[in-house]
Amino acid sequence: MNKKEKFQRLLSENEFVFLDGAMGTMLQAKGLETGGVPELLNLEKPEWLTEIHKAYADAGSQIVYANTFGANRYKLAETGKSVSEIIPAAIANAKKCCGESTLVALDIGPIGQLLEPTGSLTFEEAYDIFKEQIEAGKDADLIVFETMTDLYELKAAVLAAKENSDLPVICTMTFEQNMRTFTGCSVSAMALTLEGLGVDAVGVNCSLGPRELEPVIAELSKWTDLPIVVKPNAGLPDPVTNTYDVTPEEFAESAANLVKYGVKLVGGCCGTTPDFIRAVVNRLNGMKYAKQDVKLEAAVCTPAKTVEINQPRIIGERINPTGKKLFKEALKRGDIDYILGQAIEQINAGADILDVNVGLPDIDEKEMMVKTVKALQGVTDLPLQLDSTRPDVLEAALRVYNGKPIVNSVNGEEGSLEAILPLVKKYGAAVVGLTLDEGGIPKTADGRFAIAERILARAEKIGIPKRDVFIDCLTLTASAEQAAVMETVNALHRVKTELGLKTVLGVSNISFGLPNRELVNCNFLQMALTNGLDLPIINPNAALMTGAVRAYKLLANIDENASEFIAAYADSNMTTSVSGSAASAPAQKKGAMDLPSAIANGLKAEGAKITEELLKTHDTMDIVDNMLIPALDKAGAEFEQGKIFLPQLIMAAGVAQAAFEVIKAHMLKSGGETVSKGKVVLATVKGDIHDIGKNIVKVLLENYGFEVIDLGRDVPPETVLEAAVKYEVKLVGLSALMTTTLGAMEDTIKLLHEKNVPCKIVVGGAVLTADYAEKIGADFYAKDAKETVDIAKRVYGN
Amino acid sequence: MAGLEKINRSEAFRYMGVSGVPDENLSAAADECEVRLLSAAAPKFCWTYAEISGFAADGITLKGHRLTLRGKDIAEHLSGCFGVVLLCATLGNGTDKLLRTVQAEDMAKALVCDAMASAAVEQVCDSAEEEIKKRFTDKFMTWRFSPGYGDFPLDTQKNFLAAANAEKLIGLCVSSGGILTPTKSVTAVIGISETPVEAKKRGCGSCKMREKCLFRKTGGHCGE
Repeated sequence: MNKKEKFQRLLSENEFVFLDGAMGTMLQAKGLETGGVPELLNLEKPEWLTEIHKAYADAGSQIVYANTFGANRYKLAETGKSVSEIIPAAIANAKKCCGESTLVALDIGPIGQLLEPTGSLTFEEAYDIFKEQIEAGKDADLIVFETMTDLYELKAAVLAAKENSDLPVICTMTFEQNMRTFTGCSVSAMALTLEGLGVDAVGVNCSLGPRELEPVIAELSKWTDLPIVVKPNAGLPDPVTNTYDVTPEEFAESAANLVKYGVKLVGGCCGTTPDFIRAVVNRLNGMKYAKQDVKLEAAVCTPAKTVEINQPRIIGERINPTGKKLFKEALKRGDIDYILGQAIEQINAGADILDVNVGLPDIDEKEMMVKTVKALQGVTDLPLQLDSTRPDVLEAALRVYNGKPIVNSVNGEEGSLEAILPLVKKYGAAVVGLTLDEGGIPKTADGRFAIAERILARAEKIGIPKRDVFIDCLTLTASAEQAAVMETVNALHRVKTELGLKTVLGVSNISFGLPNRELVNCNFLQMALTNGLDLPIINPNAALMTGAVRAYKLLANIDENASEFIAAYADSNMTTSVSGSAASAPAQKKGAMDLPSAIANGLKAEGAKITEELLKTHDTMDIVDNMLIPALDKAGAEFEQGKIFLPQLIMAAGVAQAAFEVIKAHMLKSGGETVSKGKVVLATVKGDIHDIGKNIVKVLLENYGFEVIDLGRDVPPETVLEAAVKYEVKLVGLSALMTTTLGAMEDTIKLLHEKNVPCKIVVGGAVLTADYAEKIGADFYAKDAKETVDIAKRVYGN
Repeated sequence: MAGLEKINRSEAFRYMGVSGVPDENLSAAADECEVRLLSAAAPKFCWTYAEISGFAADGITLKGHRLTLRGKDIAEHLSGCFGVVLLCATLGNGTDKLLRTVQAEDMAKALVCDAMASAAVEQVCDSAEEEIKKRFTDKFMTWRFSPGYGDFPLDTQKNFLAAANAEKLIGLCVSSGGILTPTKSVTAVIGISETPVEAKKRGCGSCKMREKCLFRKTGGHCGE
């Protein structure tokens, strides 16, 4: 019998499976110092461990957790001991005192550092850290990930377990009273993501007492049909006495109350002792496991947002370079901010899910996809639909995606089914199935329906649940194939009603080559919605399209009391746009507004509008040199004189930026080169994650016509070197906020000098001084963003 | 815990280097940022009390703790104290996400938001201090002294967080570059004394920004 079977047998032969209680509490009672490394005791005091494990086994624990919670390379760094020394010893200590019937878990807690984007630890590094622990713990009977608060970290952990071991996996996360973890993960997102990744049991531990955890467990029971685990604290610790306030009897009573939600595995966390476990075992004696009858529905998620596909949901199509010059340019430059801007615009316009496609022949699509997915999940909570024709790109995106995404797409071709479906299964995604195959797109509804059936059968065969298969019956252009329109609509209807699957459809293609496209799109969208379309892929910024979906939901009695509709249109504006800054800008001054006064007053939308008008009568360089730059200079001078302050200077820059965007778009359209007064590489140095200062510098530089290659934050010296050489820049700007990261700044400068890169280096940041800048070999010290611009002008001689 | 209803604007404007009455644009941006920040932030704090077991040459040791408080400035700060409270506070991960989002939208707003978040986390510390005071009613407390002040080393953070169990209790970590994450967070030592603490101003002497501080140049200084 392998370990997975052994675990399953334990579950099937017992009404409940009892876990152990706290380890830290027991060790502190024996004399462990607060802040000490408890895992060292596996080597220093093995007898303490065997005593504790035995006490739990005697109290009735059927699974004991080895003392390995923090045995990772980060937490052990200063102890002089390695993961491969500590973990096997810890497992041996546990095995020593337990009989065959007690299983020993490799217990793995959070690494102790926050992952990107808030922290600097990458997803890949986290995976590597967990992998080392899992390999060292191969003698355990199962793996437990507990006290997790970051779904992303947990995903790295589960992948590391699944790819490097065959042991069963239990995951428990720690929730607060607001039903979220510290990093904002919801119960539903945990359940959807972990169930997709194929874990064996899921639940909660730590943080709260068993009574306070009830709403969390109740919610979890609605989202999973896996066995539910609960390991609560004995209440909360008192900061002065360090004691907990729940007694074993109260604990057992509250635990018994959770049984009705389908709890299968029960134990205790901080503050609990063998007495607590004994009390729980006694209290649950005679009770029955209340397996929940859950009907799981289609849903996708990010940690903070779960989107149930129980009504039409808009998939925004704008993150896609097809037919978009500015987008293509941005991809070639690696300009993530541009893509983020596209995302934010769609979110504010009403998108529920964002499609992400960054395929372009002359870029590294895989690298760009990973970068884009990571950046997007740093700023938005909307689930993503990962869109590529290449399986390797999809897999890379699926790995780093935080939550449960949609894969776009598989189709009925054998090669596609074989390449895509296993990825969907492994990473627990939903998938769009296109109704086409080796024979192309069938002309008839029947033909497309048959392919949908086949895709579903193949998906189910490898264990992808039916609810995760969404079918796209494919829109053909009405102007070319008028008769095909109703075939699409009819196929969609049959897939929805006969197969019971969710449906997807890209809508905008329908009107290609026709006048008044929006009218055609809108009507087609309504036809599709009425026939059962769940996921329209549209441009949410087109107010009529988003409005059509909202109106449908209102009329179909989905939008109860029309609340969503009213919320969207009560102010009579069809859409709100952040880029217009409409929400915060003061009442627009009508009449004699010109570009310089728009800049002086911080009016972004006005600035863009005026620029558009100006372009009809003025040359672009005339606008830049005679209006934009002088207005910015004026703002800069006022800033230096203390007449205006940094936020106002940046507001002025924001308007200029909006004007520049208009100019750039105009130049691309007319086939001209974009304005560039020279390229500057900017980076926040290795180890530093505060990049607001660097970003302010970027805005100002761009406004003066410089092309900024923004390397982001936490940038290693080698990356700066590479970019400086590749883009042949004359100026590199480095930023550091903390005294602890000034060393990295010095290293970066040294490397650029060693390699004789013919560029000047300007440095800035809160703790820097001119003296220090000189000492570390920088060419210039800039005390603020304005001064950086002056330096750039000098370096480039303009 | 640690409710935050309103953000101390005058403090936030001070961080932005704004003096005088902020103009209409700036006030409007502050209005928007305040609403968004209050909804994104999940303010939390935790603290633990420890008795001082010795003032040694290499630092102050705490009973039952592995943490040592090194540096002459912290020693001076705690002179006359018998115990310390180790305080940790954070606005949570959601605030970092908001700051990233606003940076992608509009840098001027991001600047305002960032400063408001800095003001907000100080307010969280203030409310923590109120709670702590209630547990030491007949004692005296020093002001908050954080790693990085004077010669109290920043690399204290990792052990500091472990001592206060801050990762488990409020989700606070430190990056390998020594930066607290979530970024809008504070750690601080408060000394507890039987006798009135000398009313030392929380001043510029121990501040690394003293040479560059715009506020100081105009004659101001931090603290009450």
